[in-house]
Amino acid sequence: MQANKPENFYQNVKDALAQPDLKMIIRRTTDKAEAKRAEAIANFPGFENARKQGQKVKDHTIKYMDHYLAEFEKNALAQGTIIHWASTAEEASKIVLDICRQHEAKKVTRSKSMLGEEIGLSHALDNSGIERVETDLAEHIIQLAGDPPSHIVWPAMHRSREDVIKLFREYHKDPTYSEEIIDLVRSARRDLRTKFLTADIGISGSNFLLADSGSSCTVTNEGNAELTITPPKVHIVTAGIEKLVPSMAHAVPLLRLLTRSATGGEITQYITFHNGPKRQNDADGPEECHIVLVDNGRTKMLADGMEEMLRCIRCGACMNHCVVYKHIGGHAYGSVYPGPMGSVLTPHLNSLEVANKQTHACTLNGRCEEVCPVNIPLPKLLRSLRAQSWDKKYEPLTNRFVVKAFAALAKRPKLFQLVSSCGVIFMRLCSRQGWIKSMPLAGGWTRNRDLIEPESKTFMQQYKAMKKAKSDGA
Amino acid sequence: MNKQKSEMSRANIFSAIKAAAPTTSMDVNTIQNEALEILGESEFARPALLAEDAAEALTLRIEAGLVIGTSCEKIASLDQLPDSVNQFLAKYALPAELKVQEIERLKALNWQGITTEVDIKNDNTVGLCWAEYGIAETGTFVVHSGPDMPILLNFLPLYLLAVIPKSKILPYMDDYALIAGEIARKGGTPRNMCLISGVSGTTDIEGVLIQGAHGPEVLHIVIIEDQ
Repeated sequence: MQANKPENFYQNVKDALAQPDLKMIIRRTTDKAEAKRAEAIANFPGFENARKQGQKVKDHTIKYMDHYLAEFEKNALAQGTIIHWASTAEEASKIVLDICRQHEAKKVTRSKSMLGEEIGLSHALDNSGIERVETDLAEHIIQLAGDPPSHIVWPAMHRSREDVIKLFREYHKDPTYSEEIIDLVRSARRDLRTKFLTADIGISGSNFLLADSGSSCTVTNEGNAELTITPPKVHIVTAGIEKLVPSMAHAVPLLRLLTRSATGGEITQYITFHNGPKRQNDADGPEECHIVLVDNGRTKMLADGMEEMLRCIRCGACMNHCVVYKHIGGHAYGSVYPGPMGSVLTPHLNSLEVANKQTHACTLNGRCEEVCPVNIPLPKLLRSLRAQSWDKKYEPLTNRFVVKAFAALAKRPKLFQLVSSCGVIFMRLCSRQGWIKSMPLAGGWTRNRDLIEPESKTFMQQYKAMKKAKSDGA
Repeated sequence: MNKQKSEMSRANIFSAIKAAAPTTSMDVNTIQNEALEILGESEFARPALLAEDAAEALTLRIEAGLVIGTSCEKIASLDQLPDSVNQFLAKYALPAELKVQEIERLKALNWQGITTEVDIKNDNTVGLCWAEYGIAETGTFVVHSGPDMPILLNFLPLYLLAVIPKSKILPYMDDYALIAGEIARKGGTPRNMCLISGVSGTTDIEGVLIQGAHGPEVLHIVIIEDQ
């Protein structure tokens, strides 16, 4: 599957809505995540306090980001880690590739990292001829399928069991002919095990960077991060600079929030802190450890007043609860980061000109903000991006015309009432048995669902009639 | 060349941060005090334990099925461990083979005919390790990498037994983080600190939970009461 482009958002949405099973497939995962999150939070009366604490940890670190970055660098260097800095995605990718080339790496294993996707590392590795092995089961599935991820926690949620059966039979050395999910997982276990043990370099992301010890931290349920990182001679971490927290004690409240918000579990099975290369005489571990600290638009977010977005811990709760995401799925956004958080992030990682349409893919119902574990005001940030997009004239001419026409009408109440009563008459003319199946200028709506017939009078007509009836009665 | 480019990016990142937040204080004491103040809130922002005693709370959590794929038992002293292991092997109809972490107190036990030389690179093996700490809040055992603790021992076997001394079971993750902070201050941080709370699991195919994705499918915690 070819990755969609963010600038083709409207077409991507049309394509997604035309897929008959997509909505069912998405909801199978997101509805379960929603229910499990609600249960986890009901079992944790201190959740609201934890949210406030988590937000404070992130805000504090962002406020003193230069201090903590310098601390992290000092302590990581003391552990023997080699630190690299990258302003852009291209620079970050190039640093990783150069390390791979220096070590003449033929095979690299990777544990799931959204930042790795953001900097285009998969493509860069594929283009360089180095064998790339994705070790997270979902990433393994989409690597075999050639798909981009469709969710930040469940990147293969758009693939059914039948798809997985076909892929594993085609690509695994010793495939299963059973259709049971447990046998499919065992097939992947057999296939990946030798790759874990024979890779030249292991590449991971980091959920947190601890300033006081220079540690990176991986959080998984599969345990694939440790298997990716430990056997090869070299470990490379790629991490955004916003992953910093002052210490492990500050990561703890965020860990409590992350798992509950992401999967509804209370904690992931594996949380590992990685501190530089192996020590002398250590039984295992890499001999060399590199951390690539990536900006790629993050300092710009700081400068543009979007620092609240830097709190994001990538749990995916906002997309699991988003009515738009649940209809169109992750691929339609045309970005590594879909859903509400993606609609705020993508304009900064790419450009607002390219990704302004996603900021409108929101009903502003506020669910994302309600469930965000670190209280990111996503609707406010989306509104601010819409305003910027308007000011910079990125909106299509038709939108600009419609908004200006509405503004002109709204300032003239009599004319507004006249036009709305004509609108009601016109809509009722298009209606059959209480429903409008198609109507000029409303194709975007009626293509996928019927529109309900409006009342015979406008709101103002009904309001006036009601007021009159009241005064007559009195 | 690369080093120069990296240095330049470093300078750019720092100057962009300074330009975005020009009024921020850089007084280290102020920053540290603010950071400490946030930690003071943890008391009101963490879940209740299932029992007051940490070891009891950890046991109850596992027995309630809240730790994926995990069972637990308490034994009075370390010399009872081979018996526990034998029962475990019998329960899962496994051969008498076990990779024991190479530390003196485990090696010195009477393993009653159990083969302890096992290559964990093979699949379907059983591993036994000694945990540094337990955490009641999350049903966790903690291991630190070192000359006698290969990290892979916790990740390659299909069956894993972890021994936790009762005195090393902490109530909350925060308690472990404070210990880790102390270790960092003394400059003795090991390469890896792993917090393991259950077995290797995945829900990536149709949301169905499968244990033993890459690592252990079954985990058994043995708490030693006199240690």
